[in-house]
Amino acid sequence: MTDVRVPLDLWAEDDKTGSIVVWLYPDGAVVKEGDLIAEILVEKTTLELYAPASGTLKISVEPEIVIDKGELVATIV
Amino acid sequence: MSRILTMARAGREALDWEMERRDEIFVLGEDVYNFGGIFGTADGFGAKYGPERVINTPISETGFIGMAAGAAMAGMHPVIDLAYIDFIGVCYNVLLNTASKTHYMSAGQVRVPMTLMIGTGGGYSNAAQHSQALHATVAHIPGVKVVYPSNAYDAKGMMHSALRDPNFVIYLTHKGTAGVGWMGTPIKTTLSNVPEEPYTVPFGKIAIIREGTDVTIVGLGMSVHESLKAADVLAKEGISAQVVDLRSLAPLDRDGIFNAVKKTGRLIVTDEDYLSYGVSGEIIASVVERDPTVLRAPPVRVCTPDIPIPFARSMEQAILPLAGRIAEAARKIVK
Repeated sequence: MTDVRVPLDLWAEDDKTGSIVVWLYPDGAVVKEGDLIAEILVEKTTLELYAPASGTLKISVEPEIVIDKGELVATIV
Repeated sequence: MSRILTMARAGREALDWEMERRDEIFVLGEDVYNFGGIFGTADGFGAKYGPERVINTPISETGFIGMAAGAAMAGMHPVIDLAYIDFIGVCYNVLLNTASKTHYMSAGQVRVPMTLMIGTGGGYSNAAQHSQALHATVAHIPGVKVVYPSNAYDAKGMMHSALRDPNFVIYLTHKGTAGVGWMGTPIKTTLSNVPEEPYTVPFGKIAIIREGTDVTIVGLGMSVHESLKAADVLAKEGISAQVVDLRSLAPLDRDGIFNAVKKTGRLIVTDEDYLSYGVSGEIIASVVERDPTVLRAPPVRVCTPDIPIPFARSMEQAILPLAGRIAEAARKIVK
């Protein structure tokens, strides 16, 4: 099992939070390492989240919920 | 292999695929190079293709759209990002008299392969000069194709079709359907499973988005999604609504519209553009001219009234053709 976390360097400022705009795969979908799996919004900028491993995506954070850098948003099993 | 994409991402994927393979395609518009377009039409393209193929323009639509039409006649395929249709006025001579007429007036000798992407519509408190739909204003011009995808699958397929079209295409997107993060979480019904491979969606065919037997609701852009919401509410009350997405204004699928309406005998047209002199009247005329006896009740329009779009959210929400107004119209027409 691999944690999918918001990368610590996804955006520079430590005092800013983000939120997931959209998951590009549904919960339970099979993804490959390196697939673009979600869009994350920070202020008006849309950033990209990539799958760190191949396997079945288990989403734990839905869109519109405030997230911080480093936060666990899904797992890949 | 397919993934769920937003409309902005799907359209961009088609544009990127074509740009990678065809040097004649270039993008121009305000804020396209650094920012990728206000509504994400060219996100990341500046870094990938450089300033010669992703050209930031000054706020001078008359100039740069005229330049684009000239480039198209000379063998290029410009793709213009006009974020707000509200500013169509300053582009209008080129659209009306140059880009749309040269192919005809040169007896087919000069083509104008040019794609004009335009953001339309309101619903997010952007006031009277950044919220208009105005698609009838461009669909009224003979010599231009006008398409209006409302979901990611069509956004990609129609962008491929536009970029392969030998002449001028206007590609409209309701800003609220694009799925760019800063506009909020994307509307679920705009998202589609989109194949990674390129494909085309032909112009001039309606899509029946939801089957129904009591009333036909015809919409385009955002009003498709409001119609789907209304249909969900109506289903719980025992009213079965068919929802039709026009997808293309020119060419307009008059046969498809007529056949859809014939199934239910009741027609509601919902359109975020102003009520008068618009697409809604055209749809009704298309049906009635052919055979008024297919209608069991007078047709109804649910549109934006002929007033400037209010800035105040409560007032704007009250005048837009949202699901509540569409459902109310359906309840009355099936009585």
